[in-house]
Amino acid sequence: MESSIKDIEYYLPENILSNDKLSREFPEWSAEKIEQKLGIRERRIAGENETALDLGQKACEKLIRKYPKEQIDFLLFCTESPDYFIPPNAPLLQDRLCLRTDIGAFDFNLACSGYVYGLSIAKGLIAADISKSVLLVTAETYSKHIHPKDKSNKTMFGDAAAATLICDTEKSGIGNFALGTDGTGYDKLIVHNGGFRNPYDPNAELIEYIEGSYRTNNNLYMNGPEIFNFTIKAVPIVVEQCLERNNVTIDEIDYVIFHQANKYMIEYLRKKTKIPQEKFHIDMLMTGNTVSCTIPIALRNSIDNKVIKSGDRVLIVGFGVGYSWGATIITIN
Amino acid sequence: MKTNEFLSLLEETLEMTEGSLSISTNLKNLEEYDSLAVLSIIAMIDENFGKSLSAQDFTNVTDVASLIEKIGKEHFE
Repeated sequence: MESSIKDIEYYLPENILSNDKLSREFPEWSAEKIEQKLGIRERRIAGENETALDLGQKACEKLIRKYPKEQIDFLLFCTESPDYFIPPNAPLLQDRLCLRTDIGAFDFNLACSGYVYGLSIAKGLIAADISKSVLLVTAETYSKHIHPKDKSNKTMFGDAAAATLICDTEKSGIGNFALGTDGTGYDKLIVHNGGFRNPYDPNAELIEYIEGSYRTNNNLYMNGPEIFNFTIKAVPIVVEQCLERNNVTIDEIDYVIFHQANKYMIEYLRKKTKIPQEKFHIDMLMTGNTVSCTIPIALRNSIDNKVIKSGDRVLIVGFGVGYSWGATIITIN
Repeated sequence: MKTNEFLSLLEETLEMTEGSLSISTNLKNLEEYDSLAVLSIIAMIDENFGKSLSAQDFTNVTDVASLIEKIGKEHFE
């Protein structure tokens, strides 16, 4: 059985963190410079008592009100900010949404590659006749991992959730995948403490890890230069592999959505992969880097703005934490 | 690449006026040299030399000459 994306909705928390506010806090970066370089004007931040599960629930509610929810027979939840170590978010969300109980549901822990991986799992579940209607949730609240004095990461990341419904169809709407993993990069984007390797340390030392950006080992750490080097190496290869595996050239692709990491980085990757500007999505202006949500948000907005039309073939590429990366080609109907 | 060409490229990358850099300019003392500038330099070096400099390389960079050394003197005339 083939599968396709039937619909996507997303939800952004209400609190806005604008460049103006950031530049008042960190005067060495002007609001204009942030927007010009990173392509971000504001990002949304989850409330103190609002979690990725809450955001995911809101995104799902927007989606499932349009469909008979009894048809959903699998729930996938992608997050790195779960409510608990035990249990996973997926059963909690099954209950909150009053989905059937004779369905499968589990979490998987991935970041910016999570959406592509989620589609690959959904496609597999449908192909194996395990499911006919998969609800894929990506929800992230990196703001809760970021130290309040971490200028660099606060500027980059925003919180969000997206819900995607993937259903069995006669014609395939999700193509072949090219996936990749390289665990040598595990410590380039990491929260060191809080798991069982290094427990949360209430007395963790405050470190100025790059000029003007502070964190402790309890917080998110990103080695920007190394992440950029990784993407420069991995992204052109995975784009080529994905095109090959789907037996198409870039000319036959109508639109390209990379994980919206930041404008500067993906514009360089676009040039390097020789993708024409008019086919290439750059828009994280009002959301920032929302990790596993950037691709579904971009898809939803591009469909609404009629940039993506019915029948278009869209190349999507995710890359980040792990290192982990992946690409596929979807057809929107 | 000639050293002068590289200085121009670096000025362009850091959005500085022409002639403002010399081989002995300490990059770390420049207002323009921040975490975003490092990403721009990585892209410039990848594009022009096909080389990737690690985060550690950037920690050790001081003046322009030390950056040239990291790229590899064989790339320069």
